[in-house]
Amino acid sequence: MKFYQPTTLKQALKVLANEDDARCLAGGATLVAMMNANLLAPSALVSLSAVKGLAGITRRKNGSVTIGAMTRHQAVADTAALDGGQRLVREAAALIGHPAIRNMGTIGGSISHADPAADYPTALVTANATVTIENSRAKREIDAQNFFTGYLETALEPGDIVVAVSIPAGVAGAGSAYEKFARVQGDFATVSAGVVLALEKGVCRHARIAVGGCAATPIRVAAAEAKLVGSRLQDSAVAAAGVLLAAACDPIDDFRGSSEYRLMILPTILARAVSKARVRAETVS
Amino acid sequence: MTTTVPITLTINGALHQAFVQPWHTLLHVLRDVLHFTGTKRGCNQGICGACSVIVDGEVVRGCLSIAANCQGRTITTIEGLANGNTLSNVQQAFLELGAVQCGYCMPGMIIAATALLKRTPKPTEEEIREGLSGNLCRCSGYVKVVRAVQVASERGTS
Amino acid sequence: MQIAETFAVAAPIERVWRFITDPATVAPCVPGCQSYEVLTATSYKATIQIALGPIKTNFNVIVDLTKAEPPTYLASTARGEEGGKASTLTAKSELRLLANGPGATTVSYASEVALVGRLGKFGLGMMKKKAKSIGEEFAVAFRTRVEAETASQGGTAGEVLSADNAQAGA
Repeated sequence: MKFYQPTTLKQALKVLANEDDARCLAGGATLVAMMNANLLAPSALVSLSAVKGLAGITRRKNGSVTIGAMTRHQAVADTAALDGGQRLVREAAALIGHPAIRNMGTIGGSISHADPAADYPTALVTANATVTIENSRAKREIDAQNFFTGYLETALEPGDIVVAVSIPAGVAGAGSAYEKFARVQGDFATVSAGVVLALEKGVCRHARIAVGGCAATPIRVAAAEAKLVGSRLQDSAVAAAGVLLAAACDPIDDFRGSSEYRLMILPTILARAVSKARVRAETVS
Repeated sequence: MTTTVPITLTINGALHQAFVQPWHTLLHVLRDVLHFTGTKRGCNQGICGACSVIVDGEVVRGCLSIAANCQGRTITTIEGLANGNTLSNVQQAFLELGAVQCGYCMPGMIIAATALLKRTPKPTEEEIREGLSGNLCRCSGYVKVVRAVQVASERGTS
Repeated sequence: MQIAETFAVAAPIERVWRFITDPATVAPCVPGCQSYEVLTATSYKATIQIALGPIKTNFNVIVDLTKAEPPTYLASTARGEEGGKASTLTAKSELRLLANGPGATTVSYASEVALVGRLGKFGLGMMKKKAKSIGEEFAVAFRTRVEAETASQGGTAGEVLSADNAQAGA
């Protein structure tokens, strides 16, 4: 195994282009655990720790927030830059693992691994985030929703690095929330839900929902969002949205819960997220 | 072909050098190369917290940190908390309250508690539980651990 | 873990039986099958590549046919090892064919699969979904191949059919 410590993105991309089966080392929270478990033995590790310009959070004039791929979960959890419809991303970051994991893990690493029970994928799909990807030949952007393609599978091709994630300002006056149900604090989600809402005189005029831990990727259902828009977010409307989402899900069975159990609690987790986002949207408007 | 990486670490205030392989973790280098065996190896998967150490002021998992990536960093292990024969506030509180059962998780618990109090000097009980949520005690003796952190907090840091 | 799948093929049961019991026709339908070798009339060896996210590995699998009742029932056992024996895979499978009219067959199989070793420790829930998707890919590939051959050799299929009818009539 080789070890590379590039200091520029260009160097890192060049190494990745030339090394078969090299892996980027971001925070190491997942990659090193898999190496320790003898699940992965890459030909080379390309550390991104010393690469300039990959970490940090920038809020632009138009209200969008760009998070560098090497930004630690704790930095996202602590930022004041994410507000309104973006707030759920910060909320999701604060719920990832434990303090030590949040000090190590990065947003780029987390989404590249694409565990469907992880917190960022669901929050970023809800927030309509864009992922910026670069390789030695080109740079491209892709919607979070299209970035996640399957169990531990993404739109990343060999040689690609996630360089940043951008969260648009979104709808004015929106409130958002990320709700997670886990067996113990810091575990991966059994079920999670992200919600962005905007209200006008108590009537919902915008809704975006994604649920996590219930399929190979975060699940969005346009008809479920449509159930909320125009409603006063009464229990029956939220429950109807939950039923539509559950119908589109196909959860795994594992020690965190059976498939049936996940589908059963999904509407409740969604209702909690809606209730939180609603209070926040009311406070804003 | 394997890269052997020379690294220099500042551990508990002293410089240490080692030659490491790319897959070596900081935990491996601390314990098996430099013999700082106070840091424990539990799950080696980042779950149990027994390997917690402080790197550049923040608590991290020794088992998930690639040693070659730690070049030039400043590390505090359990051996670095006491000042001579004087225990740190956290260590003293754990000792006085009998927060230790079998002891295996304790170096990680005490390191995590030390990092918590540095970030949040006066934590609530909930904040203590959250701050130590990544440190598992298989004797399940969490009550006295939480109390010890409260006592250490009341006495101030260091 | 248990994996079960049922799918329909638009081909007569004898043809499906012949297809599914001949490694030369069935192996190319198995997703990830890199190569196969016939050891005896009832035993085959195959190399199968399995990928789950970043984990990619090859299993060397030996399949033994333990019971055959042409053209409706086939039982088999499979035992596979990764290079270095890091993980071992064992499976007991039963395959049933049901004639659904003269030119249609329902294929159903059920496997009890056990995975021990490094991969056995990793994401069993995801593994099960992966196994299911491999099963679905197999069903599509198998159906496509059998039906393509049935269409191109329509005359042959017709002959078999008329022979059967003649017997039934006699």
